[in-house]
Amino acid sequence: MERLTFEYAATKSVPKRAYVGVVGSGDLEVLLEPLEDKKAYVTVRTRFDGFEQIWKDILDRFFENNDIAAKIEINDFGATPGMVSMRLLQALEVSQDDKTQR
Amino acid sequence: MIKLKDSFVELKARERAKALLDEGTFRELLGPFERLESPHLEPQGIVPECDDGVVIARGTICGERAVVISIEGSFQGGGIGEVSGAKIAGALEIAVKDNEEGIKTNAVIVHDSGGVRLQEANYGLLSISEIQSAIVALRNYVPVIGVIPGKIGCFGGMSMTAGLFSKIIITREGRMTLNGPEVIEQEAGVAEFDSSDKKMIWNTIGGAQRQAIGLADVLVDDDITTIIDEVRVAVKDGKPSKLRSKQIDLFLSRIKNVDPTKPIGPMDVREMWSKDEDITVVDAAKVEQTDKNELVEKVMSRGRIWFEKLTGITELKVSDVPSVLYADVNLGKEQVRYIAVVPNPNNRFPRARKGEVGLEEGWTVAKYVREVMEEDADKEKKRPIIAVVDVPSQAYGYKEELLGIFQSCAGAVDAYASARYAGHPIISLLVGPSISGAFLTHGYQANRMIALDDPGVLVHAMSKQSAARITKRTIEELDEAAKKVPSMAYDIKSYSTLGTLEDLVSGIDAESPKAEDLETIKEKLIKAIEVTRTSGIRDLSNRLTSEKALTGRAAGIKVRSRLKEEWN
Repeated sequence: MERLTFEYAATKSVPKRAYVGVVGSGDLEVLLEPLEDKKAYVTVRTRFDGFEQIWKDILDRFFENNDIAAKIEINDFGATPGMVSMRLLQALEVSQDDKTQR
Repeated sequence: MIKLKDSFVELKARERAKALLDEGTFRELLGPFERLESPHLEPQGIVPECDDGVVIARGTICGERAVVISIEGSFQGGGIGEVSGAKIAGALEIAVKDNEEGIKTNAVIVHDSGGVRLQEANYGLLSISEIQSAIVALRNYVPVIGVIPGKIGCFGGMSMTAGLFSKIIITREGRMTLNGPEVIEQEAGVAEFDSSDKKMIWNTIGGAQRQAIGLADVLVDDDITTIIDEVRVAVKDGKPSKLRSKQIDLFLSRIKNVDPTKPIGPMDVREMWSKDEDITVVDAAKVEQTDKNELVEKVMSRGRIWFEKLTGITELKVSDVPSVLYADVNLGKEQVRYIAVVPNPNNRFPRARKGEVGLEEGWTVAKYVREVMEEDADKEKKRPIIAVVDVPSQAYGYKEELLGIFQSCAGAVDAYASARYAGHPIISLLVGPSISGAFLTHGYQANRMIALDDPGVLVHAMSKQSAARITKRTIEELDEAAKKVPSMAYDIKSYSTLGTLEDLVSGIDAESPKAEDLETIKEKLIKAIEVTRTSGIRDLSNRLTSEKALTGRAAGIKVRSRLKEEWN
C-alpha cells in the first residue's frame, strides 16, 4: 500500500461536498470537500505501489480542466486510470448538482 | 409490454438502503465524511474504506420509523471488522432500546457479507456474537427483516445471523451458508466440495434452494420495486408466528431422518422437507430407538475431562446425540447445568466426529438450553448454565451445508441468548480451542467468559490454512500481521486484550486438572454467576466496560457513542 499527496493551485470553488465509489476490486472511493483556500490538496491511498507518475498524470489533467479548490481523498483498490478519471468527474458532478446525491 | 427490471443486486450498499426507505427519508448515520474507518487495515497494507463498508440509515418504511443496515459486499467481501461490526451491533442495540421504551423502530438488514473479516479476525467474531444477541432481543418487538440480494450473500457467522432473522427475502443470486465452498474444499478436500463447480454451489446454497426447503421465506426476482414491496409487506405483517431458530424439534427430527451414509442432493431435501411437519416428528422417534443401541466409544478430550471433573459424573447416560453432554449438578449452593460438546468417533455424521459442532450438535445444545428455560419458567431465580468450551470448529461438509448447518448453529445462539435475557446466568469456561462458528454456537452468548491461560486454549475465526487461502496470503504473512494486530493472533493472551474475558486463569493444569485446580475454577464460576446476577445486565454491554475493553475495543466504543448522538 502506498500513500501519495498532491497539491494544485486552484481558482474555482465547489458548492458542496461529494462522495462516490467504493473500495472494491478495480474501483476506488472519492471524498471531495470544498476548500476556502485557492488550493487543491489530494491524498491517495492505493493498494498498488509504484504508480506515482501515473497518479500525477491523471490528477494533472483533471486539475488542468477543473481547477477546483477542494480537499480530495482517494482510497483506491486497483482502479484503472480511466476509472479514476471517471470517478473524479462523477464526484465533481455530484458536488455541483443539488439533486444527485449518490 | 414487458416491464424492464431494475437490478437491486447491482446497487451499492448506500443506494440499497436509500431504495428501501420511504422516498426522501434517508438519513445516514456515521456517513463517509465522519471517516470511521478500520484502524487495523492500513498497518496490514490494505486500503480502508471511509465507512468501513457498512451503511446505517434512519428513515421510515410505510411511514413507520425504521433503521436500515446495509453491508457493502464490494469492500473486503462485506467482511465484519471492529468498526463495521460495531456499526451494525450498535444500531441494533439502540433499536432494541427504542422499542423497550415504547418507540417502535423497525429494522431491515441488507446482508452481503463473507462473515468475519479475517484481517481483524477476533474483532469480527466478537462483533457477530453481539449482533446476534441484539437481533434476538429486537425480534421480541419488531420483525428483523433480512434482505439477501447477492452477489456475496451471507457466509460464516453472518449466515448464522441470518438464521435468526424473522423473515428472509432472497434472490436467486443470494447464497446462504456457514462454510464457503473454498473453506470446505480446504478443510475437507475437493471430493467433499468442489469449489469450482458453480452450478452445484448455487443448487445447494443458492436462494432458490434455500427458499424451497424453508430456510428463507420469500424468493424474489432481482428487481428494485419487487424487493421494496416485499420489505413493506414484511414490515406491515409484523412479527411472524414462528421463528426458524426456535423450531428445534422439527429440525432435529428432519436431520434424524437423513441417512448420512447415503448420498443426498438438493432435490431430495426438497422432497423430504416439503412433507407435513408432524409426520417427520413421528418418524424421528423410530430413529432414536436404533441410535441408542449403537456402541458409543468414549474419547477423552479437554471438554469431556473438564465436564466430568466439574460434574463429578464419569458414566453419563448416552443420549441420542452422544456428542453433546449435559448434567444438572450443584455448584456451591445451587444447581447449575453444564453443557459440553465432545468428540464422538461414531457420530452419524462423519464430519462431526472430532468434537466439531455439526447439524445435530447445534440443535441439541439448543434443546438442552431451552429445557432449562422451560423447567425454570415459573421460578424467580433462574438456573445458571455453564458452557464448557472445547470446540475445534464447525463441521465442514457438503451435507452439513445442504441441510443448513447455519440454522442449527443459529438455534443454539437463539437458545443461549434467550436464556440470558430470561435471567439465566450464562458462563463460558474456555478449556480448549474455541473457534469460529463453533464458538459462536456454544459459548459466545455468555454473560461472562472465563478462560484457562494455556497454550491449548485458542480463540479464532478460521484455521490458519483456510485463512491464508481466503485472504491470499501465506501463513508466514499471517503470523507477521498478527504481530501488528493482536486480534488476528490465535493465543488466549492476545485475545484477552479485547477485554471480553472475565478472568484469564493461570497455573491450571488444563489437560488433567487437579483437585485444587477444580476448586479454583469452581470458585471463579460461582463468582461469575454472582457478579452476573448482581449487575442485572442481561445483554452483552458489560463486554465494553471492562478496563481492557476501553483500549482493546476503543473503536467499537467510539462507534456506539457516536451512533447514539446521531440516532434521533
